[in-house]
Amino acid sequence: MIHYFFLALLSFGVAMKKYVLKRVITAIFTLLAITLILFILMQLMPGSPFNDEKLNESQRAALYAKYGLDKPIVIQFFHYVINMFKGDLGVSYKISKNTPITQLIASRLPISIGVGFAAVSIGALIGLLLGLLAAFKRDTVWDTLATVISVIGVSVPSYVFALALSYQFGFKLDWFPMLFSAKDVLGSSVLPSVSLSMFTMASIARFTRAEMIEVLGSDYMLLAESKGLSGNKIVFAHALRNALIPIITVLAPLVVDLMTGSLVVEKIFSIPGVGSLLVNAIQSNDYNVVIALSFIYSAMYIGIMLVVDILYGVIDPRIRVAKEGD
Amino acid sequence: MVEAAFDKDSYLHVVESDSYVPVEADFKLKGKTADDFVDTNFASQDFWKEVVARFWRKKSAVIGLVFVLIITFFAFVGPVMNEYTYSGQNLDQKNLAPRIPLIEYTGLFDGHENIKTTSGTKTVNYYFEKQLPDTFYWFGSDNFGRDIWTRTWSGAQVSLIIAVAAAIIDMIIGMSYGLISGYFGGKVDMVLQRILEIANGIPRLVIVTLLLLVFKPGMITIIIALMLTEWVGMSRIARAEMLKLKEQEFVLASRTLGAGNMHIIFSEVLPNIIGPIITQVMFSIPTAIFTEAFLSFVGLGIPVPRCSLGSLISEGFNSFTTHPYQIIPPIIVMALLMLSFNLVADGLREALDPKLKEM
Amino acid sequence: MKKKFLSIMLASALALSMIGCGSSAVSGVSEQKDTTAEETDSAQADNATTTDAGESSGEDLNVMLETPVESLDPQQATDGTSFEVIADYTDGLMQMDADGQAVNALAESIDVSEDGLTYTFHIREDANWSNGEPVTAADFVFAWQRAVDPEVASEYSYMLSDIGQIVNAQDIIDGAKDKSELGVTAVDDKTLEVKLNVPVSYFLSLMYFPTFYPVNQAFFESCADTYATSPETTLSNGAFVLDDYQPAATTIHLTKNPDYYDADRVKLPGLNYQVIQDSQQALMSYQSGDLDTTLVNGEQVDQVKDDPAFKAIGAGYLWYISPNIQEVKELQNVNIRYAITMALNREAITTDVLKDGSAPTYTAVPMDFAAGPDGSDFSADQEKFKEVCRYDADAAVEYWNKGLEELGVTELTITMIHDADDAPIKVAQVVKEQLETTLSGLTVELQQMPKKERVQRMQEGEFELGLTRWGPDYADPMTYLGMWVTNNSNNYGFWSNKDYDAIIAECTTGETAMDASARWSALYDAEQIVMDEAVIFPLYTQCNAELISTSVSGIEFHPVALNRVYKDASKN
Repeated sequence: MIHYFFLALLSFGVAMKKYVLKRVITAIFTLLAITLILFILMQLMPGSPFNDEKLNESQRAALYAKYGLDKPIVIQFFHYVINMFKGDLGVSYKISKNTPITQLIASRLPISIGVGFAAVSIGALIGLLLGLLAAFKRDTVWDTLATVISVIGVSVPSYVFALALSYQFGFKLDWFPMLFSAKDVLGSSVLPSVSLSMFTMASIARFTRAEMIEVLGSDYMLLAESKGLSGNKIVFAHALRNALIPIITVLAPLVVDLMTGSLVVEKIFSIPGVGSLLVNAIQSNDYNVVIALSFIYSAMYIGIMLVVDILYGVIDPRIRVAKEGD
Repeated sequence: MVEAAFDKDSYLHVVESDSYVPVEADFKLKGKTADDFVDTNFASQDFWKEVVARFWRKKSAVIGLVFVLIITFFAFVGPVMNEYTYSGQNLDQKNLAPRIPLIEYTGLFDGHENIKTTSGTKTVNYYFEKQLPDTFYWFGSDNFGRDIWTRTWSGAQVSLIIAVAAAIIDMIIGMSYGLISGYFGGKVDMVLQRILEIANGIPRLVIVTLLLLVFKPGMITIIIALMLTEWVGMSRIARAEMLKLKEQEFVLASRTLGAGNMHIIFSEVLPNIIGPIITQVMFSIPTAIFTEAFLSFVGLGIPVPRCSLGSLISEGFNSFTTHPYQIIPPIIVMALLMLSFNLVADGLREALDPKLKEM
Repeated sequence: MKKKFLSIMLASALALSMIGCGSSAVSGVSEQKDTTAEETDSAQADNATTTDAGESSGEDLNVMLETPVESLDPQQATDGTSFEVIADYTDGLMQMDADGQAVNALAESIDVSEDGLTYTFHIREDANWSNGEPVTAADFVFAWQRAVDPEVASEYSYMLSDIGQIVNAQDIIDGAKDKSELGVTAVDDKTLEVKLNVPVSYFLSLMYFPTFYPVNQAFFESCADTYATSPETTLSNGAFVLDDYQPAATTIHLTKNPDYYDADRVKLPGLNYQVIQDSQQALMSYQSGDLDTTLVNGEQVDQVKDDPAFKAIGAGYLWYISPNIQEVKELQNVNIRYAITMALNREAITTDVLKDGSAPTYTAVPMDFAAGPDGSDFSADQEKFKEVCRYDADAAVEYWNKGLEELGVTELTITMIHDADDAPIKVAQVVKEQLETTLSGLTVELQQMPKKERVQRMQEGEFELGLTRWGPDYADPMTYLGMWVTNNSNNYGFWSNKDYDAIIAECTTGETAMDASARWSALYDAEQIVMDEAVIFPLYTQCNAELISTSVSGIEFHPVALNRVYKDASKN
């Protein structure tokens, strides 16, 4: 598959480069716009990051002056953007007072990405298998079973899964640690990853089933069949490959969601990730943390969407089908 | 479909009138004659009839529909089936296990529960301990002594109203946005898609939380928040469909005849993509129910003492290991609701998409 | 064994997927290998966190934290968790004893001038920082000047100004004077002199508050901006030494400080903190032996109430409902206010809903945090104000009808705002139900919101009823009674009474401030006014339900300043 991609990339050459460049520039402007909107949204938040209850006016003024929060929003924004290009995302006001946010995120983001990546892998793999099973054994009891499993996956909230798994496999059977531990990263990531993977698994299973059914009914599959290709080869060389592209499109935003941390699961398993950080930051008005985490989320989201779009542009399915024909 | 039916009809005419020499009376001005009317009507009825027939043929979809109807029925009738109200507390009767008349004699649902204490498991029946021989909580009572049966169904009612309202509003906005973006293309599309990208790039939790903070918490705010998280998906689908259809002959024909843009978008193209749209709406209802549940868990759900399935689950979550019966009813109703809506949506998708039908 | 084996099996399956993000595992993987190699016989692998911990007798104490540490900088920290951890490895001039009284710590002796305005502290000769430097009076001067420095903008600077009344503190905070003018001087290396504006009877009990802890200037400056963000950038002079911490960490570890002047007293080889935000996970961890002490929530009390390890620990917070007396016409009517406070069944709230040992409270100053000159609790007598504050449905109805008549209405709708947290949501629902059942014609609408917003709305007077709480800052009734003076920002009802203001002023800066027992009875008079006018409807004094393993003894719990002290704790 990879070499097709590069071949295609080469053949597109200059036009492609132009397209990518254009998209990257728009992406940067989009990110700037998002940052500005975040700044404005922060102004709407009631309360301040400081201990409202016990502070008097002069103290509050001193705190605002210290962090530059007394300046007009536009000035704050420009300061922030300039510092951002220098790699400085400001300091936390509340969650971890005066800690540079880059430091805070540097230690937490990898953990969220790790757990999220494991969850996506498990979910995508099992989901794919379930979806294929349902598509090939369509309208049989297998299909129904796969549907039921996948719907349970989307209909039971992940925190319920998390607690049930923790109770059964952590507490009763004592197979896995119940809480995340830096000394046993892999072992203690099992339960959170599995509980997080449920939603991905279910979505992928449902989508795979629909895509496979459509691909299996398409003309080129009939052609391949009539050429006398064997069942397995059709499935893996043709059908699955074509079904994968839209599946990846569905998977991409899920990947971003999971890698930027799930607050609920992080809270239950005491994972020092960024998901729980975002919620705490919103609830305690820790503006810089909210903006920084949202920015990272947006950047990852736009980045991944960009890659998917470019992939689409490069491997237009019709072109590839034509190549496979000979 | 319409064209096919018409062709078949005219073909039959031709065969019949093989040796017939036409007279002037045979030709009529095109207008709303009885024949024409019956024709088109029949044709369109035929399409929807077939959709319905295809839907009925899919057993899982029918089962899903039946469950949706049953749950909807109970969501509106269930809360008034006993003397309790969703907010009425009775602290003397808190945390009672499920007890149902008659069935209690089988040993199930007789009000007993096993409490796991740190010093061992004990079986208790608070109905006897508190001397309540004639008290029945069908699904048990919660930590305020409120009836879980009543709360589960009124929660289902709230969840359904929120989800359906959010899905419909999100359909209207997302669909219009996507159709307009796809139809005009070029600069308009570019600008609209960038706006969409920005809206989508901000983590939903941030937008939703801020929205719920700025506005008074309540059903309407939650509906708006849910709509904000869903309309993007809907607009993508509408745009993709529009891109597929806008170069087709019937659009071209309509434009040649001088139809306005809005007429083409909403009267010509829209009816042709109603299938995927309805399917998407059906899929977005369970998503909305689920998102609402998530908001409840973060403490941004429906204000107490009102409840939704989501808030019931997060309330029951705290006594998950102590009184598990409190979380089970809302979870089962929610899972069933999600399952049925998904089955109905799957059924509809296949029924509406003739290409899938041939499989 | 089973756990280890399976986690390794599944971990290796997961490993494939984790490879893509190596950095996440970098810190853990090498250690993971070690534990795997030794796992066969290390039964306490979970507890043995550092190598040197094994050398001392006994095991580390495993403690559950509800929230992560916000800051280990003593002048920046504001929350209980941070204070607790800071106090584990830092001593102030005074520390708390088991009963919450101030006892000498770094201060060997204290001289108080006759007018009560000058305190001279003599610091122990054997008090040293963990880098070998002696603890000097200059460390305190540096720290206290930081606390009032507008550039540092410490949120607890009012501990030195409003509460501590240290000379020039308020002017420095306001930027009118330089921080070097603060009324605190290092007479010599080991002698610290503090000057106050007015005599402060509880001044010594402020000294165990972390805002007053010393900071070594040379060390602080060597850390630049990273002071107190890692074990390397903290300095200990207390019972333990911090050896595992990072900002907002979910696990924190401390080891016994062998150089501590009072090291013989410290029995624990180390302390292991684990942040767990979900109460059910916490209970399961406790039951499987990973924790020695944990908080339990109300729902879990049924499971653990017969356990000998179950204890209700006073948390000091008074929860009360504040009516907006100035803005809401109906609440200006004192009969309506009496009706509401008497319709509240506080027993039911604490025993049936909270179940964590919280105590029904009928006084404006809660119980068990302020002891008077004779050693008795200020609010021991809860029936003191029973004429105006008790649970009495009949009297409530009477007042209610009278109030409605005076207002000329038959129905009332009142909105109550409350925090969107577990306990307030529960309490608000019961309050609504109780008020609506007892007082016919009353509708209570609940509005939940994040605490920040609720506080802001109450301070701005945009509310009708507000469910709120107040935690004591120091062990004196004034920490509560000071709230209801005219124009105080926490006088949410904007209530104003000249007599009350006069009593409070007299007790803070007047003659009475010098005479402990006269002051005490004046404070009772002030409380009487608040209760007579039903300025607040007190609900309950918060307790935390905790499980403390029976093998652990000697943890000291306090409702003020330092919630838990482990100096005398031991674990068998």
